[in-house]
Amino acid sequence: MSEAHITDKQGDLQERDALLATLRAAPPPKVAPDIGLPEPGPTAVGRGRYAAVLAAMFGLIGVAVLAGMMVGSVTIPAGTALSILIHWISGGLLLEPDWREAHEIIIVQTRIPRVILAAVVGASLGVAGMVIQAIVRNPLAGPSILGVSSGAATGAVIVMRFGLLFLGAFTLHIAAFVGGLIALTIVFWIARTGGNMTPTRLVLAGIAISAVLSALTSLLVLTSPDPQLAARVLFWTLGGFGSAQWSLLPIPVAALVIGLGTMLVQARRLNLLMAGDESAVALGLDVERFRRAMFVLTAGLTGITVAVSGVIGFVGLIMPHIVRLMVGADHRKALPAVALLGASFTIAADLVARSIIAPLELPVGIVTALVGGPFFIWLLRRDARSLGVTR
Amino acid sequence: MTIQPGTLSLIDVSVEIAGHRLVDAISFDVGPGEMVGLLGPNGAGKSTLLRTIYKVVKPAMGTVLVNGNDVQHQTSAWVAQNVAAVLQDMPADFPLTVRDVVTMGRSAHKALLEPDTAHDRCLIDAALKLQRLEALQDRPFRTLSGGERQRALLARALVQQPSILVLDEPTNHLDIRYQLSLLKFVRELGITVVAALHDLNLAAMFCDRLCLMQGGRMAALGRPDEVLTSERINKVYCVEMVVQRHPSTGKVFLLPA
Repeated sequence: MSEAHITDKQGDLQERDALLATLRAAPPPKVAPDIGLPEPGPTAVGRGRYAAVLAAMFGLIGVAVLAGMMVGSVTIPAGTALSILIHWISGGLLLEPDWREAHEIIIVQTRIPRVILAAVVGASLGVAGMVIQAIVRNPLAGPSILGVSSGAATGAVIVMRFGLLFLGAFTLHIAAFVGGLIALTIVFWIARTGGNMTPTRLVLAGIAISAVLSALTSLLVLTSPDPQLAARVLFWTLGGFGSAQWSLLPIPVAALVIGLGTMLVQARRLNLLMAGDESAVALGLDVERFRRAMFVLTAGLTGITVAVSGVIGFVGLIMPHIVRLMVGADHRKALPAVALLGASFTIAADLVARSIIAPLELPVGIVTALVGGPFFIWLLRRDARSLGVTR
Repeated sequence: MTIQPGTLSLIDVSVEIAGHRLVDAISFDVGPGEMVGLLGPNGAGKSTLLRTIYKVVKPAMGTVLVNGNDVQHQTSAWVAQNVAAVLQDMPADFPLTVRDVVTMGRSAHKALLEPDTAHDRCLIDAALKLQRLEALQDRPFRTLSGGERQRALLARALVQQPSILVLDEPTNHLDIRYQLSLLKFVRELGITVVAALHDLNLAAMFCDRLCLMQGGRMAALGRPDEVLTSERINKVYCVEMVVQRHPSTGKVFLLPA
């Protein structure tokens, strides 16, 4: 290994002094041109690799979207699906329709909103999971540990149980969101009692609230006179994009744009959370306030996704791991990548869910858990092996 | 303009946590470029006192002045631009590379959304090179040895371009060679240093002055040969030590009697 610092050779001393002088130098004036400074090797290589990974992810999402438009009760050929898409995007200006009108209606009214909803939910769960893992400084956390999912399920079950429709067609979604919000408030309040909101207390509060709310949900279902309720609740809580329609999309899309936008602006600070609380403060972050703000942001994003699509497990847990393996843990690079990968994964999972027992549909949460669970186990074992017995 | 060594003043600093007074009315000044060692048995309040300097702990009473400014009236970012701390927290839960960890040190100097500039990369490269970590920069931090980790955290502190460096037990888990090289490096850095140390002999060797703490109070402050007397060590640590002068350096050193 290297001869750290212990060397008295003249050349080394000179080099050391030169390096120290570099470190002591104040930053150059902002207008100074950067010409002449060569790009450091590893960074340039890293950048090329990152661009390649992002390009591959865009390719993946393209394939997933195309397949999402083709597959279903009626199979529509790729060429036709693409033509209809181009025709629709251009507002009818490009391409003369040479396809059946029924196909156009299926694609525009059903499949495109469904693919968009799946993509938005997958991207939201991916970024929410990544940020939550940083907030609680635990790579084994996911969006569901905040108690928001359980709260949303309870809210939805109350609506189903009592047949409430007072808020119109979206009553179920609104109730789920409000349920998530209430659970979030309680978790927040418990975790903050006694001053600091530590990662451990946040996780424990989330687990406790989830357990209580699950019990409440079960109680509501079991005491219901409606024998079908249990099945409907199970189906809803396992998640799905069956309710996708254009009018449902604006809120989850806006939530993703605002949520991901804020996270990207704060990406450098999110990195500091990974250093440990005390180091993060010493590196200039007001950890307490930042963690609180990020907690509310991710919980809100999770609440909205659960409200529109039910509880879809494992996306928010696993996608961040895969992305970190590919592009590293720096949030400035990892957040865009996890949004893309999460979106492709849920579009693909939805495809499987609606085609494997067609014309019936599986809840998409079953597919993500069946694929995600074993993959996660593999990842854990691989991680343990690559780290040896050191941890 | 270049980064100058800073000044630090602790004025009657007391810290209370859950009703316990962990630090009791500590006052001393550290001049530009000076290296001061904090000594004392476990639980004497060394780490807690250091925490008031990098603003993790708010003093119940008293003031901490960094370059003449009360840290409690400054933002965390301002403090981080002036004070860098090398602590025991290890960023080992996530697959951060050594370079990622060192890059964190630039954070306090950056506006939101500001990318790493050529200047930042230049500083990071210099710090990695100084710590002999160039070859390890793309390795995951958590795969490093204890000595390499400590060097990476020191590199992270260097790119903060601090005028004061705070070290909390920096030589823990290091073998004697790394202990010596780390302290020698820090000593020659030319900035102001405050370090909590356990090894009395290393403290005597490298520090200009020592502050000996006991039960949160200051038991002694002064040059190593003034502070490290066998009576005082006996009183504070309850052990018998013989104090001698090193034949070649003239510095004091201690041996169990």
